[in-house]
Amino acid sequence: MAMDVVDYEIFGNDMQYVEVELDPGEAAVGEAGAMMMMQDGIEMDTIFGDGSQQQSGLLGKLLGAGKRLVTGESLFTTIFHNESQSKRRVAFAAPYPGKIIPVKLSDVGGTLICQKDSFLCAARGVSLGIAFQRRLGVGLFGGEGFIMQKLDGDGLVFVHAGGMLMRRDLQPGEKLRVDTGCVVAFQPSVDFDIQYVGKLKSALFSGEGLFFATLTGPGRVWLQSLPLSRLANRIIASAPAAGGRSVGEGSVLGALGGLLDGDND
Amino acid sequence: MIAKARLFGDGLPATGESAVLKIVGATLLVQSGSAQHRASIDSLCLRRVGFDESGIEFSWTDVDGSRVVQVLDKESVQALLALPELASSSQWQALRAGNRRNSVRRFFGWNVVAVIVLFPVLLLLAFIWQADRIAAAAASHIPIEQEVELGDRAFEGMAPSLKLIDSGPDFTAVTTLGQKLTHGSKYRYRFHVAKSDVINAFALPGGIVVVNSGLIDGTRTPEELAGVLAHEIQHVELRHSLNAVVKQLGLRGLWLLITGDAGSTLAGSTVLQLTSLKFSRDAEEQADGKGFDTLVANGIDPRGMVDFFDVMAAKERVSPPELLSTHPTSAGRKQALAARKASLQGRRFEALSLGSWPPRE
Repeated sequence: MAMDVVDYEIFGNDMQYVEVELDPGEAAVGEAGAMMMMQDGIEMDTIFGDGSQQQSGLLGKLLGAGKRLVTGESLFTTIFHNESQSKRRVAFAAPYPGKIIPVKLSDVGGTLICQKDSFLCAARGVSLGIAFQRRLGVGLFGGEGFIMQKLDGDGLVFVHAGGMLMRRDLQPGEKLRVDTGCVVAFQPSVDFDIQYVGKLKSALFSGEGLFFATLTGPGRVWLQSLPLSRLANRIIASAPAAGGRSVGEGSVLGALGGLLDGDND
Repeated sequence: MIAKARLFGDGLPATGESAVLKIVGATLLVQSGSAQHRASIDSLCLRRVGFDESGIEFSWTDVDGSRVVQVLDKESVQALLALPELASSSQWQALRAGNRRNSVRRFFGWNVVAVIVLFPVLLLLAFIWQADRIAAAAASHIPIEQEVELGDRAFEGMAPSLKLIDSGPDFTAVTTLGQKLTHGSKYRYRFHVAKSDVINAFALPGGIVVVNSGLIDGTRTPEELAGVLAHEIQHVELRHSLNAVVKQLGLRGLWLLITGDAGSTLAGSTVLQLTSLKFSRDAEEQADGKGFDTLVANGIDPRGMVDFFDVMAAKERVSPPELLSTHPTSAGRKQALAARKASLQGRRFEALSLGSWPPRE
């Protein structure tokens, strides 16, 4: 089926949202909870499954919903369709600091494989599937787990990831070694594998872990500079309420300084 | 046949161009836009590609530079590999051999993972299946001193909420009967009376037996109280609470092993739950039987014990006494007691003389 062609605009620097302009009759699919605002005339429908029309019947719907459960998306998707006579806008916001990347699926051959949970919104007609990692080592040590998300269609999809996003085009055979967890999305033509860091000393003390993720061309890949889990780790580690240390605000007076600085909460 | 493909290479966009691919004779033809590329099958390099490795990649070098074409669609791949020109090529044979090795390795790897994942689950099932036996075996290695300490700790935790009246006629009666029933035991028994109208009694490991005053008031003869005491004492002698604790600890340990959830696994919290532990039906029947025998051995009429449980069971229909909720009755228990009672055959016992009953100030 034909995909809806949508215009969009991305706002913000580190905490972004995307505003999608819908022509009359057009629709966008949003991840549940991602909607930030919508104008008059936009109707919201929540459907069971992923909103692509390919699956019909109860069984198909259940399968679609099951897939979404496995990839960490919620069971329901919300469709925003413009029922008015003129252009209307709906905005979707990213759930944590990072960047939103627009990808036109037809530019990358119709399929994009991305990190689970990274889907934000898409033009109606994009189907969300799962890509199951059959390579044990990659699933265990690749940083992305055994399940990734597969977006199929021709239209625009918006994918979100933490920190800055790097887009890189790999020539056939060109290999990129990536810290595990930093892979956001790649074209299915790219080979995603792992590689042992090489030396025992590096494996133990370099802080990079035992394995790198490797991405081998041809194709386009997207990397994130700050996976959410890393950010969350640092926040927890320095949150006194959660048992962390409060550092950086202390003075030579130590605890006494903490009493005197008037910043007690 | 024509397969949808994506063409990459020098001078082409990095994300590739959509193309169609077909095999004519011994030649691979790739049409992308208006450009056509061709390569002989013998010069091709083959590789499995795609996220789940269901795709196939052909690469070669021609005058324009290196060329890579990928077919990811499963049906197209199947159709391509069915072609005799490709299937018989040496590259494809080599690729297939490599694939087979890979899939064997993968199968093995996944099995290892399955075993690792299933092992604790199997362990848990085995443990639950043989829990009582395993727990009893483990508990038999615990020295009595530790058992006593365990009981004392539990009692310390509970004592503030119990109104203990460790003097007076009730206490004297309980202690007198208790000592009569426990002489010669390896445990040093301590009997307590708690002021409460709730009809209940319980025992802690190491020899602490607590009887509620309500229970004493509910008995009609000293023999009935002796029956309850004999039953509770047997819970201590047979280490039922200890076994239950060990069982619970073991299950929690396994649960921790499986789920990694460290919450509330402290041994202390288990000790505090001692009083709310329900013994298994087997344990109750065992305590009944041994208690009955102890009564007989000490020359106390065990019919009091049986009668008292009948009294309780009769009350159960109106409002179930607490004693029955911690000591659930069962058809088996009643039958076993009735059979033992019948086997006495009118044997005569001297009535216990503890003054007026129930004991009064």
